[in-house]
Amino acid sequence: MWPAVTSTPVIRATGLVKIYQTGGLPVPAVRGVDLVVEPGEFVAIMGPSGSGKSTFVHMLGGLETRTSGEIWLDGKRADTLSESGWAVLRRQKVGFVFQFFNLVTNMTVADNVELPALLGGASPKHARERREYLLAELGLEERAGAAPGQLSGGEQQRVALARALANQPRLLLADEPTGNLDSRNTRDVLKLLGKVHRQGQTIVLVTHDARVASMADRVVSLLDGQIVDDAPIARLQRRPGGTAGDIVELHG
Amino acid sequence: MRLPLLALLAKEPAHGYELKQALEVTFGSAYPSPNIGQIYVTLGRLEKDGFVRAVDVEQSNRPNKKVYYLTAAGREALEAWVDEPTEGPRVRDEFFMKLVLAPLTGIADRMALVNRQRRHYLSLMRDLGELAERTDPGNRVARLLIEGAMLHLQADLDWLERCQEDLT
Amino acid sequence: MITGVGVVTGVGVITGVGVRAEVRWVRADLRARRGQALLTVIAVAGIVTALITAATLLEDGTNPWRGLFERGRGAHVWIHTKGAPNVPALRALGGVTDVAGPYRSAPATLADHGRKVPIALQETTAALPSVARPLLREGRWLDALHPDGVVVEQSFAKALGLHPGSPFPVTGLNGATHTLTVAGLAESGDQGFYPEWTPGLAWTLSSTLTMVEPAPGRTETVTGLRLADAGYTDIVVQQAVITLRNQVQRVSTWREVRASMELDNRLLGLLLALFGLAGLVAAALAVANATGGRVLTQLRDIATLKSLGFTREQVTRMLVAEHGTLGLLGIALGLVAGRVITAYALSDTVVVPLSSGPFVAIAAGTALVVLVAVWLPAWRGGATPPIPAAPAAPPHGRLSRLARVALLVRLPPALVLGARDAFTRPASAVLTLTGVAIPMMMITIGLGCWATLDGFSRHPEQVGQAAALSVRPGDLTASEALVRVMADPDVVTAYPGVELDALVPWQTRTVRTRALGLSSDPYPFPVVEGRMFRDRGEAVAGQGLLDLLGLRIGDRVRMTIGGTPLIVKIVGRVIEPEQDGEVLSFGVDSLAAKDARPPQFYSLVLRPGADAAEVRARLQSQALEVDQAVNPADRLSVIRVIIVALVAVLALIGLANLLTASALGLRDHLLDLAVLKAMGLTPRQVMATLVTGTGLVAMAGVVLGGAAGAFLSKGLIDLEGRGSGVGAGIGRAPTPGMLAGALLVAIGATLLVALIPARRAARAQVPVTAR
Repeated sequence: MWPAVTSTPVIRATGLVKIYQTGGLPVPAVRGVDLVVEPGEFVAIMGPSGSGKSTFVHMLGGLETRTSGEIWLDGKRADTLSESGWAVLRRQKVGFVFQFFNLVTNMTVADNVELPALLGGASPKHARERREYLLAELGLEERAGAAPGQLSGGEQQRVALARALANQPRLLLADEPTGNLDSRNTRDVLKLLGKVHRQGQTIVLVTHDARVASMADRVVSLLDGQIVDDAPIARLQRRPGGTAGDIVELHG
Repeated sequence: MRLPLLALLAKEPAHGYELKQALEVTFGSAYPSPNIGQIYVTLGRLEKDGFVRAVDVEQSNRPNKKVYYLTAAGREALEAWVDEPTEGPRVRDEFFMKLVLAPLTGIADRMALVNRQRRHYLSLMRDLGELAERTDPGNRVARLLIEGAMLHLQADLDWLERCQEDLT
Repeated sequence: MITGVGVVTGVGVITGVGVRAEVRWVRADLRARRGQALLTVIAVAGIVTALITAATLLEDGTNPWRGLFERGRGAHVWIHTKGAPNVPALRALGGVTDVAGPYRSAPATLADHGRKVPIALQETTAALPSVARPLLREGRWLDALHPDGVVVEQSFAKALGLHPGSPFPVTGLNGATHTLTVAGLAESGDQGFYPEWTPGLAWTLSSTLTMVEPAPGRTETVTGLRLADAGYTDIVVQQAVITLRNQVQRVSTWREVRASMELDNRLLGLLLALFGLAGLVAAALAVANATGGRVLTQLRDIATLKSLGFTREQVTRMLVAEHGTLGLLGIALGLVAGRVITAYALSDTVVVPLSSGPFVAIAAGTALVVLVAVWLPAWRGGATPPIPAAPAAPPHGRLSRLARVALLVRLPPALVLGARDAFTRPASAVLTLTGVAIPMMMITIGLGCWATLDGFSRHPEQVGQAAALSVRPGDLTASEALVRVMADPDVVTAYPGVELDALVPWQTRTVRTRALGLSSDPYPFPVVEGRMFRDRGEAVAGQGLLDLLGLRIGDRVRMTIGGTPLIVKIVGRVIEPEQDGEVLSFGVDSLAAKDARPPQFYSLVLRPGADAAEVRARLQSQALEVDQAVNPADRLSVIRVIIVALVAVLALIGLANLLTASALGLRDHLLDLAVLKAMGLTPRQVMATLVTGTGLVAMAGVVLGGAAGAFLSKGLIDLEGRGSGVGAGIGRAPTPGMLAGALLVAIGATLLVALIPARRAARAQVPVTAR
């Protein structure tokens, strides 16, 4: 999908630290994290709640400032950017998906999806075409005129995904995208994530859900603000067409 | 295997191959299909225990086949099985033994154990996901079976997380 | 397809790009809250309208004098002398730029339907003079070919029904009657309107004047001085009086002319300005409240926008644009409405529309206020962290002290819960409270003004108008006139009176002195401080006079009346609605006999309930000249319309604040609703809880505002009275009935506004879910 897959990593974070000041006391959330994500990679970040995984992803997208460490996005140093600099970088290179969908409540589905394109400076015509394409891809073209409140959770999250992809970002960041969905809607969103990943989209995703994490190429486990494991998910050496029984028996 | 066969026979008398087919149709690819030998061995044992009765049926151009009927004792055993609550998930876990005991010996590091186990579970989960995609969406029994396996895995992963938090 | 890789070039990109996205969001948000937006626009428009109207009234825009004086290049000072003054000497005085005249002026009478009306004939030239030029309104100007032509001052002509071509039979002092013809009608900024300013004025050519009044000793000479700056008036008068020595009979300045044309608009304007400014504060609060409330409910959306790549500046700009546009729209509407109202609805009063300076100042000032009011919450909105995952949690509902009190007195649980909610957000509660209290306070003050006006018209004696009529003997002798007057059944008392101009040392202008009644039997002046005069040499004064001369009660003042020195002691202060309060009153017996006898007029106190107009007609039929006192309340009746309009605008502002508070309160409690229902509260109780939550704060605001208004209104009106020279003591607090009514209506409206959304929320099926 990308014209030329360069060898520049999409993300290169080194020694990333985040310390909150709570009532004058320093509370470290992320304590020295290094991460490199290559183009087209799908990385899942797991860890118990409070392990700093959301903070980490927020820092990668500039939603929170780092206390120390470096962040390079697409070969460009990003951690030194101002709040506005980050905002501009985000609108061009980063798409965000959140747990609670966070569609702009006043705006229709169509407006929500067009907003990032318009923000990026696209013409209204171009933004509309891109929106029509994305909503068609997600099977939501009929809901274009609906208000977010009229959609189910799964539909809202699909719209949020379309919005995140509106500017064809280099990086898709997702924070518990299925955390608030039932299993059927989770399946729909997962299918979509798999699809965009196969098209070459780089994804970094925080999740608790093993089904979501199992789709990733690589799993990063955080514990107490530090990476305790970072490795690809191996393919099991087993005959194709194995059954659930095999699997259940294997680990049971 | 014994009791599912009794259950199938409670519906109608059948011969061994018919039983194998019934199992496959019901559970689909989600469940390991038993081989025919296993089924005949089990049926033999059931007959010896008096739960089933075999009747030879003559066939015109083939060897006689055995059709199995459920006996009264068999029905009783089946009813007892159905009435009795099923045991919950296992509490004895081999991985847990490793996790607790291995570090004592200095052979392995707990963190590494947990990480390896997690990756393994995630591989399993991916397989299940792929299996689910291959499974006919109309087969509800199969789907539920896969979902059950996934939920167990999720629970195992959550538990792994607890282990990592508390033991390392 | 857009390529995913864009080049960040810095701030240029930040400001230039994405305006379309901002516009899209603003449009969507406005669509989602049309009603609230409309209310904001109307509230701001109302306040701006009030301010424009106030400024117009304050700025002499209602006083025709300004326009007339400027257009006719009027003279600031008129000096009446017996003979022709030394014009070069006058012209040489510092500050004098031009001299009008000297013109001869002769008293005469005009026969009007069997009545003799005193007039002043004033000489002028066939060519319109360049200074103190009468402004021809109808007909033509004088010309030497028609020596019998006169040009009549317009207000006088109107009062007598004269038109160009009407006969103008004039009788000179020698008794000879000459029938002249009205050639034209003209206005002048050098003389007040008839009948406030008498005698009526007619301009004639010199030859005509000589014909009517051949005796040179009976004419006087008037000379006008036009000054470079109106501020020189006092010095020039002083110097002119010295220059001309004993020649000067009377000096009048532009101030008296202006005052005579004025309709007490200053008082009205001040009142309006006060309302307008307080209203502006209230409107700013309403705008800030609405914006802040809206931003508070939108924090998540704003965070989402920022996560999409909206910068802090963009968010602030967007919010300012959205809410500011509403305010500016309101201002634009208000400016137009203000112009339209002053041009059409007040067309009788307003002569010159507001000049562009104050107009622009009001527009810019209100715009600034609105933008600041909007900018603060917008800036706060812009500073929202871009992490939308954390929903803004409502603050914890501690059991406030108020709620504990509520529990102690065993109120129903819904009320206690509501009371608990009322003050959980202290800042918000204070904003709501002030937002309701200020309009309520101003409404109460408005009611106080209303009550004061009622006091004026019901008890004219309390504003110095015990006498409804005053009679001038005219052709009759004073005693004959008195006999005829007292013969009327409705006349209770007649006080002899003389009004004279007095020269006060160190004061370059004359002040009006009024000798009325006797020291032993004084006219019932409304004394509000000190006491009534009882002896010769004692006097009472209006606030304006005290301020002008820097005097206090108990001081002595020396003055010259008609060349006779007079020393009086000021023993009291009276309410004085005339001459900006610059009037000194004492008994006729304090004057030298030559000035006091015969009295110029008699002030008549009528039997209570008598119709002044009827009595006047009866007395006029007896060949008496009768003037009817003009009650200030009548002249201020326009104030009542304005009070009603202002109350409406202020109520609207209060309403806007209430709606904001109610929406916010509902948002905070939406989550609790399900829990409350689960706890077993009936929908009615849930509703009561919600209504109490919002209503309590608003009601506190209403009561507080009402109390403050009632407390302040008397003092404030007195302050204005003092400022206008009439003097403190006119202010009335709103009547208890009025106040109670206003409070009840306000509280009712408050509860209603809180009730409607609460009712809807209580009936709705709210699931217990996470946000």
